[in-house]
Amino acid sequence: MNTLFQNRTEPEEGEHAVIEEPHAGGDSARGIHVFARLRRRMQTCSAAAGEDGQHGHGMLCALPFGVLMLFGFIVPLLCVIAFGLMPSHTFSLLHHMPTLENYRVIFTQSYVFSMMKSTVLAILTVFLLLLICYPLAFALAKVFRGGATFVTYAIASSLFVSENIRLFGWVIGLMKGGVLGGLLAKMGLPVDSFLYNVPVILVGMVYVYLPFMLFPLALGLQMVPQEVREAAYDMGANRWQVFRMIDLPLSLPGIMIGSILVFVLSIGALAEAKILGGQKIVTIAAEIETAFTFGQNWPLGSALATLLIALTMVLVFGALKKVDFESLLGRKAEGQS
Amino acid sequence: MGIPSVIVDRSTRLSGGPAQTILEVAGVTKQFGSFTAVKKVSFRIREGEFFTLVGPSGSGKTTLLRMLVGMEPPTDGDILLRDKRINDLPPNRRPTCLVFQSLALFPHMTVGQNIEFPMKVRNIPPDDRHTRADELLRILHLDPAVYYNKSVLKCSGGERQRVALARALAYDPEILFFDEPLSAIDARLRKMLQKELKDIQRNTGKTFCYVTHSLEEAMVMSDRLAILRSGAVEQIGTPAEIYASPCNAFVAEFMGEVNLLDVVGVKGGGAEWQFKVYREPIRLSEPFMAGIQRKLLVRPESIRFLNDGDTADNRFQVKVKNEFLLGSRKQYHVEGLGGFKLIVECSSDHTITGPAATIGWDVKDSQILES
Amino acid sequence: MNVTGRQRFGFSAYAGLVLLIFYFPVFCITAASLSKKRYFSFPFPASDLTLKWYHDALVSPQVSQYVGVSLRVALLTTVLSVIIGFFGALAYARYAWRGRRAFQRLVLLPLFFPQSVLGLALLMWFNFLDITPSWITAVLAHTVWIAPITTLIMSIQAYSFDNSLEEAARDMGATNGQILRWITIPLLTPGMVSAGCFAILLSWGNFALSLFTTGADSTLPEWLYARMTSGYQPIIPAVGTLSVLLAIALVFLVVGILSLRRRNAAKPAASTP
Repeated sequence: MNTLFQNRTEPEEGEHAVIEEPHAGGDSARGIHVFARLRRRMQTCSAAAGEDGQHGHGMLCALPFGVLMLFGFIVPLLCVIAFGLMPSHTFSLLHHMPTLENYRVIFTQSYVFSMMKSTVLAILTVFLLLLICYPLAFALAKVFRGGATFVTYAIASSLFVSENIRLFGWVIGLMKGGVLGGLLAKMGLPVDSFLYNVPVILVGMVYVYLPFMLFPLALGLQMVPQEVREAAYDMGANRWQVFRMIDLPLSLPGIMIGSILVFVLSIGALAEAKILGGQKIVTIAAEIETAFTFGQNWPLGSALATLLIALTMVLVFGALKKVDFESLLGRKAEGQS
Repeated sequence: MGIPSVIVDRSTRLSGGPAQTILEVAGVTKQFGSFTAVKKVSFRIREGEFFTLVGPSGSGKTTLLRMLVGMEPPTDGDILLRDKRINDLPPNRRPTCLVFQSLALFPHMTVGQNIEFPMKVRNIPPDDRHTRADELLRILHLDPAVYYNKSVLKCSGGERQRVALARALAYDPEILFFDEPLSAIDARLRKMLQKELKDIQRNTGKTFCYVTHSLEEAMVMSDRLAILRSGAVEQIGTPAEIYASPCNAFVAEFMGEVNLLDVVGVKGGGAEWQFKVYREPIRLSEPFMAGIQRKLLVRPESIRFLNDGDTADNRFQVKVKNEFLLGSRKQYHVEGLGGFKLIVECSSDHTITGPAATIGWDVKDSQILES
Repeated sequence: MNVTGRQRFGFSAYAGLVLLIFYFPVFCITAASLSKKRYFSFPFPASDLTLKWYHDALVSPQVSQYVGVSLRVALLTTVLSVIIGFFGALAYARYAWRGRRAFQRLVLLPLFFPQSVLGLALLMWFNFLDITPSWITAVLAHTVWIAPITTLIMSIQAYSFDNSLEEAARDMGATNGQILRWITIPLLTPGMVSAGCFAILLSWGNFALSLFTTGADSTLPEWLYARMTSGYQPIIPAVGTLSVLLAIALVFLVVGILSLRRRNAAKPAASTP
């Protein structure tokens, strides 16, 4: 992964007509040499507004982000992966030999079940959200006119409220004597608390990740050209046929992005299970947190985290390779009035 | 191989009785809030003809088209297909098909799949669909072996036009509607596609209703045309009729470069009424009341340069301001002593001897129009 | 094909239902924050209405402390994310350069990633570097997640950027620095403001990353979480509601500043830089 960045941040050899300075010996001289070359390249870039300029400017602008990613994302992840190979209950990377014992522990003890449970929860969340959000996304993209903005703001604004607070709202709503419980009791139907079981955790997850499914779906549906749909109707297709043969295939990028986003976020979900489910369901993220805090077993936690990372990467790279983001964003920019 | 099933034997049609009216538009109006896009438009389209709606942008032709195919409901008026009222029929149940300006080809399907779509929707078995699609590709000069599995995104502009047409023909509608399909194509390809469209219309015998903003295109392709302005029909007729007698100044101007002069009725001396053009007397075919203002239409090709001894009903001294060579013709911009400007067209081998000249035209070559 | 009136009603009803359920928790929280009783029960009589808990929240030194931490983190994160995102957006959408495709994928990577795992990874990394986690490390964590978002938001605007404007300026003798200051930045300012809004709010409300990376300091969401999992206290909904109101106020503030700037910029057209 480091080589990926090496190629991008260093100026590339032999591609531009830059006068080479004679090599002085030593590292510092080389450093200055490189810098001088970079600076001269920038000057030639500003002089030529052509492809060279674009390349130079592009790379330079990408630099801050690249550095941030390198030190704030890539390297920490490597750290986790490395730590997963350390002997259990140790706290340092440099003093031990790598071992696979953590993974052995994971696969022979209950951790594997936590993993499966979390995965099933995440998949269920994705499916439920697809069902719930597709009609709404369709309405946002095709049906509502002025109302679309209102609905969008109403739902998007929830992203800015800490998920804790919103989940706590559900606690208040669903707890014994809470809003729902109290109302039902008043009407003569005394019910116990709705909380602390698996279904309510699902409710919480569907709730928290709804915007992350809705907006990609709406974006994907927006990309279905209205005239193409009209042409299909014009040629005799009924609503179901248009949905099946036009809407669904053409909005597939949106469906894929939404599904993967929700899955990946749900699998790392921490707060929902704890706040709504109490001790009933322990998600894999909670297991990881426990390993780091109470369990004092950083290597085990890291190994679990590594598995999650691997799962995420496989999904993201595998499925998203087929989605062309530039057309998605570029089209959206054009479509905005 | 036999004749593909889509081609119809025209001979029987030609020898038969007068063509039937297939579509009648009666007083159709469309209002968007306080804005009226289409104002009580009425016309008839005959079966098997190439009918065109022409008008500048904003004349309401696209709105009208969308009402005819069922994508917009008319605010008022009736649309009758073979004497049956179809106002409330949705587009997927109307035997009409629209070729959009953007063509609206299904981007995720191949050429073959696009053409087969209308048949697939009707549950026609795959083999029959394939045969018919191949047939249609061949009619449109696209080799099925090359194009059937080609993605529409990889086709050129002209190829996409043909695929859109093949798809519409696969639907086998009673009337094919076209919404300015050639406006985004370059001139050379456009001429070729115009000819092809016309040929296909003649060979298949289908009724085409074509919308365009280019009068030239309409004149070239149509059997009859209707000129629209601001949502209302100005004139309906064959190209020859409209060219020969435009009903008003708008239609005349829409047809390209013509000379339209303001004239005012003036009591003249003698037995004939005369007109004044910018305070010059001018001769016309009809008597008029004093004070009435009209527009006089004279086509550039009807005006000629006069040498000594040449006669014409109207003669004027002019100064030649500009000369343009347009291929086989030459165009002169001249200005009369009274200040009026004219365009004169002659053959390209004409030469002028100096800035001053005499031009003239005959009364029979001019026309009085209302504005 | 146009949707029939009945269909549109159906969609509207569905949307209304979803919105209703969506704001149900918000309603619950607000209701709970107004109830006098120590233990919340619903429905409660109007005599139980009180603003006591809000008062407690506003005067509590604890709450102020956590608000301070959250605010510091949010502001610094915003500044960093917007700057990095500005250049990132240029690299994403404006320049056609060789690594662009890979860069675009890189930008999206932290978004499609479980936050708790990211927080954890950063914690380990800080430990490896012998850095004690504090609110500053939380800033880095937030920035890693929020910079891609600001980049994407500003990219959307950068996509519609007209290159010929910069070329025309260069043609008239402007240097790179001048072009950046007088053309590029002003044109991309609306994008910067929306990105800034997003950044502040997302950082303000973030929980998962803060949990792992703030160390001894705590942000408001962390404090709320600790309280929530240790039994009901009526101050929690009050603080929660206040937090939401503060977020809304921040948005209005920023949008207000932007529209003021725009109005002022429109007036003295003669006194350009």
